[in-house]
Formats: sequence, C-alpha cells, structure tokens
Amino acid sequence: MSRSSQKTDTTSEYLIPESAPELLRGPKWLRDARERSRRDFNKSPVPPRGLHLWRYTDPATFLIPHDGPPDSTPDDGVQSSEGPVSEHLEKDSTGRLVHDVGGRDIELHGADALTSRGVVVCRLSEAVDRHRKLVEQYLYQLINSRSGKFEAQNSALWNNGIFIFVPDSVRVAEPIHLLREAGRSGSTQFHRLLIVVGRNAELTVVDEYFGGDDSDRNTSHANSAVEIFGLQESRVRYVSLQRYAHRMNSYLTHRATLERGATMLTVPLDFGGAVSKHNYGVSLVGEGAESNIIGLLFASGRQHFDNHTRHHHAASRTQSNIDFKTVLRDKSTSAYTGLIRIENEAKGCEAYQENRNLLLNRGVRAEVIPELEILNEDVSCTHGATIGPIDPLTIFYLKSRGIEQEAAVRMIVAGFVDSTLKRLPSDVAERVAGFAHRRLEGL
Amino acid sequence: MPDQKALFEFNDIHVEVDGKQIVSGVSLKILPGEIHAIMGPNGSGKSSLSNALMGHPDYAIMSGEAFLDGRSILSMSADERSRAGLYLAFQYPLAIPGVTVANFMRAALQAHRGKDADMSDFRKLFKAAMKALLIDPSFATRYLNDGFSGGEKKRIEILQMSMLNPKMALLDETDSGLDIDALKIVSEGINRFHNDSNALLLVTHYQRLLNYVKPHHVHVMIHGRIVKTGGPELALKLEELGYDWVEAEYAQGTGA
Ligand SMILES: Nc1ncnc2c1ncn2[C@@H]1O[C@H](COP(=O)(O)OP(=O)(O)OP(=O)(O)O)[C@@H](O)[C@H]1O
Ligand SMILES: [Mg+2]
Repeated sequence: MSRSSQKTDTTSEYLIPESAPELLRGPKWLRDARERSRRDFNKSPVPPRGLHLWRYTDPATFLIPHDGPPDSTPDDGVQSSEGPVSEHLEKDSTGRLVHDVGGRDIELHGADALTSRGVVVCRLSEAVDRHRKLVEQYLYQLINSRSGKFEAQNSALWNNGIFIFVPDSVRVAEPIHLLREAGRSGSTQFHRLLIVVGRNAELTVVDEYFGGDDSDRNTSHANSAVEIFGLQESRVRYVSLQRYAHRMNSYLTHRATLERGATMLTVPLDFGGAVSKHNYGVSLVGEGAESNIIGLLFASGRQHFDNHTRHHHAASRTQSNIDFKTVLRDKSTSAYTGLIRIENEAKGCEAYQENRNLLLNRGVRAEVIPELEILNEDVSCTHGATIGPIDPLTIFYLKSRGIEQEAAVRMIVAGFVDSTLKRLPSDVAERVAGFAHRRLEGL
Repeated sequence: MPDQKALFEFNDIHVEVDGKQIVSGVSLKILPGEIHAIMGPNGSGKSSLSNALMGHPDYAIMSGEAFLDGRSILSMSADERSRAGLYLAFQYPLAIPGVTVANFMRAALQAHRGKDADMSDFRKLFKAAMKALLIDPSFATRYLNDGFSGGEKKRIEILQMSMLNPKMALLDETDSGLDIDALKIVSEGINRFHNDSNALLLVTHYQRLLNYVKPHHVHVMIHGRIVKTGGPELALKLEELGYDWVEAEYAQGTGA
C-alpha cells in the first residue's frame, strides 16, 4: 500500500466515520455541532497545495487515517508522565496546573483555590454540563466547522478540552499553566481550549504543548483549537509554547476576540515538532482594544514551521502590534504570513508588524509574506521584515575582544532573543526565558 | 625576523578594500613603553591600517608581516590577536542590540582569562573601571553602544581597554566626539593604562589629545603611506600648517 500517493485525496481512510465515538460525547447541541463538523470535514476537499496559506506546507501532512482504533481510548500501556507535573509543582508554589494527559485524562492541580472567587478551571467535557450556558454561548464562535478543513476535524473530534472562565472584575494574579501532552506514538490528539475573561477581569495562561516521540517510530499528530474571549476592559495574557519532540506534527488554530478597551498579549513560542502549522489570530471588535503578539521561533534539523498571524481591526481606535522573530539553522524552513486587516468603519487605528529572521547557516530557508488589507485611509500602519545571516561586522567586533567565533554567534543569537524577552512583562518573561534559553542551547 | 626589542612591529603592509589598494607598504616598530601617533588627512588609510591589523574581514592584507611580542599575528583570527594582547578602539564602534555592556564585558574578560578561569572578581573590577571613567552604572545593563552618543561609545571603548589590559593598543580617533571634560577623563584613563611594558598607537587629527597623552613619535600618513616621521613637535607643526607642505616635501623627495 502506498499511503503517500493517496494522501492528497480524501479517500475513505481519512473520512471521519459516522461511528466515531467522539461524536457521541456531550449533550444534544454539542453532538449536533460535532456531527455538522464531521460532515463539513468529510465534504470539504483537501486544500490544494499552492492555495492561499498552503503554499509552503503540504496539507496531507495533517491528514490522519480514521480507520484505526480511536485515539482517545484510554491506553493502559502508557504511564502518565509525572515528570513535567512534579517539576512544575516544585517550581511554582501556586501550583495552578492543568495536565492534559494525551487523551487519557485531564488532571487539575490547585485550581480549586480559585473557585471561591468564581473562577472556573475544568475539563471542557464537564463544563458542557456544569457551565452549559457559557459553553454553549462561546464554544465554536471563533473556530468551527466552517473555519477550515482541519478546524472542522477538531470541532468534530475534540476530546481533550479545557475551559477557563474568569468572572467580571476578578483578577487572577498567578498564571494558570496548562501542560498538554502528546499521545502515544502514532496517535492524534484533538486539544481544545475555551477561555472567557469577564469584563475588567485579568488572566494569564501558559499553554504548553510537549511530548511525542523522539525516536523513529510513528509520527504523532496534534490538532489544537484555542478560542479566547476578552470582554470589555479585560486584560489577557496568553503564552502558547510548542516544544514537542521531533516526531510530531502540530496543527493549531488560535482565535481571540477583544471587546471595547480590552488588551491582550499573545506570546507564540514555536520550538518543537517536525512540521508545525500554527495560525494565531486576534480580532479587535470593540473600540480602543489593543493586541500585542510577541513571538519566537527556533528551528533546527529538518524542522518546518508555517506560521500565520492575523490582526483584524473591526472597531475604531484599536491598536495592534506584532514582533515575530525567527532563528533558523541546519536545514530548517520557516514561512511566516502576517495579515493586518483594517475594516472601512474602523477609524484611527494603529497597526505594526515586524518579522525578523536570523539565518545561522546556508541551506535554511525563510519566507515572509506580509498581507495588508487596509480599507480605511485614516490609519497608521507599518510593517517590516528582515531575512539574513548574522552581520559579519558584529561578529568581528566581538572577536576583536577575544571572543571566539562560536561564542560570538551564540551571544548575538541570545541578544536577538533577549531583546524580545525584554519586551514581555517580567513575570511572563521569567516563565518563558528558561524554555527559550534551553532551546537555544540545543540549537 | 622580528626585532627582539620591539613590542609591536609591522613591515611593508599592503591593504586592499574591495580590490582597491588603500595602504601601500607601511612599516612601523614600536618598543615597550612607547606612544606613537599617526596623523594624516581624511581618507589617507589610517583606519584601514588599524582595522586590517586587528583582522577586520573587509580589509585584506595582501602582503607584509606583523609581529606582536615576536609572534607573527597575520595568520591569527581576530579573537586570537585580541587574546595575544592586541586591542583596537574603533573609530566607529558598532552597536549590538540584545547584548548588554556587562554581559559583553564579562564574556570578553572570560575569553582572555580562559574558559574555566574564576570570574568572581568581575563585578568589582567592572564597577571600578566604570567609575574611573565616570560612566554611569546604568550603562552596565544597556545594550552595547545601542543608542549611545558618539562620546559615550568612545568611553566604552576605553573602558574595554582598561579591563582587557592589552599589550598593544591602537586607538583610532578616540578623541573625536568627546567634549572637553570627557577628553580629559578619557585621556587620564589612557595614561593610567599606559606603562613601561605596553604601548600605544594613537590615530588622531588633533593636538588636543596629544597634550594629555604625550607621544614619543609622530608619523604622517598620506595616500596609504607613512611619508614623514618626527617627534612631538611634528604634531604642533601640522596643527599650524596642515599637510600640504609634508605632501610637497614627500613628492620632491621621491621625485614624483
Ligand atoms: N569598507 C570600505 N569600503 C570601501 N571603501 C573603504 C572602506 N573603508 C575605507 N575605504 C576607503 O579607503 C580610504 C581610506 O579610508 P580610511 O577610513 O582608512 O581613512 P582614514 O585615514 O581613517 O580617514 P579619516 O581620517 O577620515 O578617518 C578612503 O578612500 C575610504 O573611502
Ligand atoms: Mg579613520
């Protein structure tokens, strides 16, 4: 059997069967939505290569045969990896941690400390019943069966879901850390995250994706969907850390929406996996809303990254800012598409976008595709991109002070990254700096 | 063969930039404890010579030889030259965003001392060196030369020299960009550094630096050649009369 030659067609092995057990999970409204998503997924063609946003990555990478046993069935052969959890609990005295154990369970640590203030941190599958009104109101609003083929797939099959709700005017000072573990070798996880942050409320979430195979066994997959709602005047900080092992393909869609006066910081950190296609989008739907995306991507070996960011200004006097930095070495590749859309009725908006790519050797490839859709004249919008090797004169300056070539390169790369980390609020920077530095050392 | 007495010596150095010859056979011998000055019109090749000696990738030494402490340096990489005791204070120091002055200085000193050397005295030394040059402590955590004024960059170059303590320091127009007070502070820093066992080569346009840091020998460089050498009085004469007369004298002497 030659799977690769069939992959580009939606042959039956890639269809979601009517009998998929996930489709039966949840109350009727949810089962209906899942079934709709299943049909939309099965109906929609695989995006042809070369289509917008699919120019740099083969869509077949994310097609998964559904004719095997379902991946979400508990797998007794695999032990829950306690390592990362205990490590976190040791470092983080507040211990607000949610461990998504690769389709086997979602374990909550210390989240009950928040419940007295009305904050909800729980399995999405439970929230569907316990917080039905909220979930029904918000789930699938930003990512659903019509968002795209793989979004439809997630909408039908999500199993590992997390729900976070912060009531109006409640400030959650300590970050909530989500540890989302890849499943067993060859499996596929459909992660889903729904966050609703009430008016004038505050929340920080670190969403960490990890695990998967480093060996040459089967490639594992993750298809993740993240929906975040920032209600009026809320302040949300969301870190998305992808540090999967080498044999892992990751597809992720992130969509957030900000009401009047709300601010959001999104920090995509794309470090791991084999092929990774991540799409981060923030819509500014209320006047004066502000979104910052500050991202880092480190690629080595034969890793491939295909990232999108999307800032959508649908209301007046909204601000957006993107600083996305990429470091590439070996034979890795990266494509970055940055869309800024400003609607005609959105007046007095400001939008900035910067993408810098540092190429550490020949043989890497970086593509930058800025996309501006500005339908209103009254805006301030700039974008810039650089792609290039480390400046040889910078290296010479360091060498002229006795620093060896390799150490000079390391310093310059660390500096490239440090100037991004410095832009983050210190508590967020503290959480992510260690991961960034560790990944850099392996680069 | 290098002169056993010379601390730094180079012979018949030819430098090309972009395939164009900029320095055309320059030689100099500098003994321990000496201070030399090179003066000369804009574009005569002073910086090209200094950069080439330090190992700058854009300045290719096509022929000639150079010895530091009797060791040939031209086959060494720039970092090896630095660790061998050569230092260049750049005319236009580069900014390195993301690398703080303190981290940079620590890495440089560590490189000079060796990978495993103890660095526990670093903070103390660094603080003292900053203080001696009246550099505000806040500069320690700023990115190297990033947004620094011209004079601030020059001070940082001298700060580095004072910490790395080279045998041979080339100072390329360290005085330019300094205000009157800063010139004095920096000059005092240079004089504190200088002793009987190291040496200085100053590239400058003005006598005002040489009033503080007194040279034993003054050389005039024109069109990529050293065309005249004299004592400190030569600098005074140049300040008064400019370079025309040197050029005329040289043309006559060579029959050009
Ligand atoms: N990187 C370079 N690329 C091209 N030309 C260069 C470069 N560096 C120097 N040159 C040229 O070489 C010549 C000598 O320049 P250099 O900087 O050595 O002069 P200088 O004597 O230091 O001048 P100044 O007193 O103005 O500093 C000039 O004509 C200059 O334009
Ligand atoms: Mg010069």
